[in-house]
Amino acid sequence: MARPAAATTPSTAPAGDTRSPLRRIAAQYAESRIAMLALATLSAVAVIAVTAPLIAPQNPYDLRAIDIEDGRLPPGSAKLSRPADVGMTVIIRDRLTGDRPGYDVKARGRAGDAPAGALELRLVAAPDGTGARRFEMTLVPAPAGPLDPLRNAQLRGLPRGTELSAGKKDRFRNVWKLTGEDVRDLVVTLPASAGDGVRFTLTASGGTQRHLMTYWLGTDDQGRDMLSAIFYGLRISLGVALVSVLIALSFGTLVGLYAAYHGGRADALIMRVVDLQLSFPTILVALILLAILGKGIFNVVLALVIVQWALYARTARGVALAERQKEYVESAACLGLGPARIIVYHILPNCTPSLIVIATLEVAHAISLEATLSFLGLGLPVTQPSLGLLISNGFDYLLSGYPWISVSPGVALLITVVAINLVGDELRDILNPRLQR
Amino acid sequence: MTSALLSLHGVSRHFVKPLDLVARAAGRLGANLREEVVRAVDGVDLSIKAGEVVGLVGESGCGKSTLGRVVAGIHEPTSGTLAFRGRPVPRMSREERADYTLKVQMIFQDPYASLSPRQRVGRIIGEAPDVHGIWRRDELDDRVDEVMLRVGLAPALKRRYPHQFSGGQRQRIGIARALAVAPEFLVCDEAVAALDVSIQAQILNLFMRLRADLDLTYLFISHDLGVVRHLSDRVVIMYLGRVVERAPTAVLFGRPNHPYTRALLAEVPRMDLRHRAFEPIRGEIPSPLDPPQGCHFHPRCPHALPRCRSEVPRLREVAAGQWSACHLNDVA
Ligand SMILES: Nc1ncnc2c1ncn2[C@@H]1O[C@H](COP(=O)(O)OP(=O)(O)OP(=O)(O)O)[C@@H](O)[C@H]1O
Ligand code: SF4
Ligand SMILES: [Mg+2]
Repeated sequence: MARPAAATTPSTAPAGDTRSPLRRIAAQYAESRIAMLALATLSAVAVIAVTAPLIAPQNPYDLRAIDIEDGRLPPGSAKLSRPADVGMTVIIRDRLTGDRPGYDVKARGRAGDAPAGALELRLVAAPDGTGARRFEMTLVPAPAGPLDPLRNAQLRGLPRGTELSAGKKDRFRNVWKLTGEDVRDLVVTLPASAGDGVRFTLTASGGTQRHLMTYWLGTDDQGRDMLSAIFYGLRISLGVALVSVLIALSFGTLVGLYAAYHGGRADALIMRVVDLQLSFPTILVALILLAILGKGIFNVVLALVIVQWALYARTARGVALAERQKEYVESAACLGLGPARIIVYHILPNCTPSLIVIATLEVAHAISLEATLSFLGLGLPVTQPSLGLLISNGFDYLLSGYPWISVSPGVALLITVVAINLVGDELRDILNPRLQR
Repeated sequence: MTSALLSLHGVSRHFVKPLDLVARAAGRLGANLREEVVRAVDGVDLSIKAGEVVGLVGESGCGKSTLGRVVAGIHEPTSGTLAFRGRPVPRMSREERADYTLKVQMIFQDPYASLSPRQRVGRIIGEAPDVHGIWRRDELDDRVDEVMLRVGLAPALKRRYPHQFSGGQRQRIGIARALAVAPEFLVCDEAVAALDVSIQAQILNLFMRLRADLDLTYLFISHDLGVVRHLSDRVVIMYLGRVVERAPTAVLFGRPNHPYTRALLAEVPRMDLRHRAFEPIRGEIPSPLDPPQGCHFHPRCPHALPRCRSEVPRLREVAAGQWSACHLNDVA
């Protein structure tokens, strides 16, 4: 029975696909528009998180950079430079001698950032029949100087019973508040009881304010730029989630592979622990752990690792058991390759697709979990404000007319989590061997 | 026997499916549950001389693959001993054991499952020789090329991944991987069953060419009687884990002794011996979990005697080189 002649010429490769598995996956991924959009969003988020200190308009945790007077500004508000100000002590003394009876005025102890001469104080005695002393006081900013136009002024420490023709006296303190208009011509009437040598302090501020930046997402109650706070918050949220997922992934995979390879009692014991772990709601376990461990970035990472490792262990074990049945593993054993080598170089690479998919989705899970913990006040300390803490901070103002303080970090969280989930779903579809084309 | 390259003495391989917790609890409460034991290979004696091609034939599930894996050292036998070059495996030193592991290689049936999807072809072939230090690092590339050429693959393809190859090419990769560690004995487990008929012929020719070039010995497992007849020097027929007949090819096909063998051959249409995967004989093949007592074949045997139900027939030499396990031979 003759057989066809042996094919001695080396057979050529099938046409086409010479790409590595990674390239193939990338090409397949690029076919989905939504997934690409999600990936672009996620990349942008990642870039923001990494470069936050460089690109944030403000360092939200530098107390010198934030202005409490800008608190709770709505989105789109401008941050203006602070007005120039000046302060001086004014002493009025009856001038008893000399050719022109009147009053001696001394301005001493300058304060504030406006230079001397930016503000001129004119004081003219106004005759009065009642015996009380009366002055006409005018504050004139140097034209086009740093205090022009004058916005407001304050007089402190005037003698009790002093009357001013304009302005408002503070209800509790001895402070008169005046507008730039008030001090054009102000009449000060000192009470009869006031003796010689009246002394008070004058502060005034004014000048044109420069536009420094726009609070695109408004400010929080501390006057912090929300956009910058979100950039920094993303950095912390993503960082914590990534670190915890990487640790949980490595540890879980190691344990799962060990269980799969070792089998028997070790396997049974590990898998019962895993089952137990997975049967509790993650948030509950994390809450209890943090209640015991206390706040802090390290403890949050630890808690996230503890609630997540079991998933990787179970997945790694399942996939490894399935892979171990395959003939390529038998062939590796037949070729005398050691168990460690078979696990690391043969089984593990074929488990990675499943693990990558789960890890991707788990990053989103870890972000939400950490946000929840921080929202509940058990997560990160105030000095490391993640998105969850930002949401929590704004929560008090949510219904009092300042919704952006809570909503904008919430939207940032949502976008991040949805983008990660979309990327993870697409990866799962591509890497799922059953759906593989 | 002493000149045998590889010999099996009463080799069995059982698979035990342990009871789960529920079943064990039920057992405590008196339920009649036993652990399920599959006697996939049950007391097989066989010896294979260097340079010989032994065909192993039997219906699906009769334990051919399991026997092949035991021979290749992938499964430990549950009982019985396997000896390589006259040295029983359990008494081998580490070096001997390592040598045996490499000298006996297996070619698998499924060309898709038998190659790791995440290794490049060059690595698949070169990994074991590299790890074992058979090839030096600097000669690795050339050696891989050499082996690829030997099995009919262009060395330029070694940077590719298995998914980029056809079934026949993958099987060649599997063969190259085995040849890379310089084996003396190849276990081919239905190595061509998954391939197109035209490709089958190419791969079979490759096997025969390698046999001539490299002095290989084969245990050739197949469904296909035609293939076995064409390639083998000797044929072993298995039924439910036991060897029922073994004989030189010409004898077995000319004067089959065992009723099961005769039934198998009768099933094969003479005109097209080659490509006829045989159909089972009258009746279902019994469950390997609960094989019949006595001669496993008796429920389907047209000549069954009363004693066949209780007594296991022993293999006896019925003619020169022809061994058969059937009570009819005692009667005659
Ligand atoms: N790893 C295993 N665990 C449990 N049972 C097994 C295992 N491998 C094989 N078996 C059982 O042993 C018996 C023999 O299987 P085997 O694969 O050796 O048969 P085969 O003759 O090669 O069949 P086929 O022609 O279908 O390949 C079958 O009943 C099978 O279910
Ligand atoms: S031993 Fe009995 S049942 Fe078995 S093949 Fe021979 S005659 Fe048939
Ligand atoms: Mg088989």
